[in-house]
Amino acid sequence: MKAGLAWLPLFAVPFLVHNEVALTILIFTYILGILAVSFNLIFGYTGQLSMFHAAAFGIAAYVTQLSMAYLGVSFWIGMVIAVLAVSVLSVIVGTICFRFKLREFYFAIVTLAFSEMVRLVILNWNSVTNGSLGINLTSKPTLWLPTGKVITVEGTMAWYYLSLVALLLTVLVCTRVVRSWMGRCFAAIRLNDQLADTLGINVFLYKLVSFLVGNAGAAVAGALYAFYLGYIEPGYLSIDQSLAIVAMALLGGRDSMAGPIIGAFILTALPHVINLGAEMRIMVYGFILMLTILLLPKGIVGLVARRRRGAPGLLAALVKPRDVL
Amino acid sequence: MFFEAANLTKRFGGLTAVDDMSFAIARGEIVAIFGPNGSGKTTLLNLIAGLIRPTEGRLLWKSRDIVGSRPHRIAAAGIVKTFQNPQLFAELTVLEHLMIAAHLPLQRQLGLRRLLTLLRADGGTAQLTERVERVLRLCRLEEVRDEAAAGLSYGGEKMLGVAMAMMCEPELLLLDEPATGLGQDEVQNLDRVLRDLRDHGTTLCVIDHKVGFLGRLADRAIAMHHGRKIIEGPPAGVLADARVIEAYLGRGHA
Repeated sequence: MKAGLAWLPLFAVPFLVHNEVALTILIFTYILGILAVSFNLIFGYTGQLSMFHAAAFGIAAYVTQLSMAYLGVSFWIGMVIAVLAVSVLSVIVGTICFRFKLREFYFAIVTLAFSEMVRLVILNWNSVTNGSLGINLTSKPTLWLPTGKVITVEGTMAWYYLSLVALLLTVLVCTRVVRSWMGRCFAAIRLNDQLADTLGINVFLYKLVSFLVGNAGAAVAGALYAFYLGYIEPGYLSIDQSLAIVAMALLGGRDSMAGPIIGAFILTALPHVINLGAEMRIMVYGFILMLTILLLPKGIVGLVARRRRGAPGLLAALVKPRDVL
Repeated sequence: MFFEAANLTKRFGGLTAVDDMSFAIARGEIVAIFGPNGSGKTTLLNLIAGLIRPTEGRLLWKSRDIVGSRPHRIAAAGIVKTFQNPQLFAELTVLEHLMIAAHLPLQRQLGLRRLLTLLRADGGTAQLTERVERVLRLCRLEEVRDEAAAGLSYGGEKMLGVAMAMMCEPELLLLDEPATGLGQDEVQNLDRVLRDLRDHGTTLCVIDHKVGFLGRLADRAIAMHHGRKIIEGPPAGVLADARVIEAYLGRGHA
């Protein structure tokens, strides 16, 4: 309940902060937060290091745009189609990986290979995807208000609230899942899958469910990200993007919902705080990743949780040390 | 027929760990399996639980062949195994272990309605509290319920393994050396728990080297040596058999 209250100030931010850059950073944080939280369902909670997450993100961006262009549907229907497409792909990729019982780095490498396959298809299918030049998106999502009014989501304010609500819903869904019997199955698989198996838990099924739900979250993030940015390119599916997602989860801490969001915030804000070129940014990501693993195995959340005993407060309420069970 | 193994054989390369074993278990009895280290007892239990696949032979569970079934399916069908070296989810608490192990009863109780419980704040755990409490009490794990399993004593870890298996509500419980490494009090506690299980209708198949404890507990015993069954019958008779003593202690003691 306290963790719920911690969200309230975020709704007030646009009234207090009028800095466009700051709000833009927060919008990107929220959208990438959806990506990182959904990734962490697979990685932090179920223990599977998926490198397919950037692919799910990128595929959804393309599928949303292409269904709008070719089928003439609205953004939201396009997003639903994208989520469905990603779900079908997740079942295929997940079934292959989990049937062959690929673990840890074997799983990471095979999912990475699938991601690269999809990226190469998008890169070379010029007639549909416009190859490496990408696609400029001119349309914006529309929303139907309860009063019957239709508004177009454009400008910082509208995107701020849309992305915040989307993140809030993602966290709600993921929290419900991990605190349920299904979350207990995920934890059992992460900690000792042979024992889970002998206790009657269908390891294959629940790995697949985790992979599917996580990738569906990435699909939502992909559609939102593409239409906020107004541009899609094959770089969405790159290894760099996959690594950035891993970095977010590790940096913030993978034992909680708040961790990956904090990680997303830091990695989004960092390039604005220190002015960096794209190549330098990757180096900084790598460096942060190394330092985190060496110094903060439980991430920032783990650090705060360790110190919070004497100081309950907003941060402590936001940062629950372990949401599993 | 409750449970039957027919001509069960497992070869690892050139080694025959279980060699043409045939035996049956009737509902409600406690069967002890004796045999020196390396005689194939653990392999036998792993075969029944589906952790490894037999090279030859059949495993009939209520007249249905379960060879090739995945362990979780065998567990769901009613056969659950504990491990010789305690297998735990180290960083979780004792209570959390039992909640995870409640997967099967929850599945039986609610079926697909489990999906609806995902929408509720308690995640459908309310139904299980009573059973969890009972198992905690019976296994004397109440005091350590909120402790991480990694901090338990060896005896506590083994008891937690039994407690998790109990949460699965098995019809046939396979116990791999539950008393090995336990102190006198802990063995007595285990004895009490296992008798309670039997009294509530659970069939037990137990491996152990503590022949005194197991000899008193079991209704029937099977002795193994080099993967083969050498004798089967009442525990006292089996333990007094010359071939069993020879297998354990070597020629000259019989």
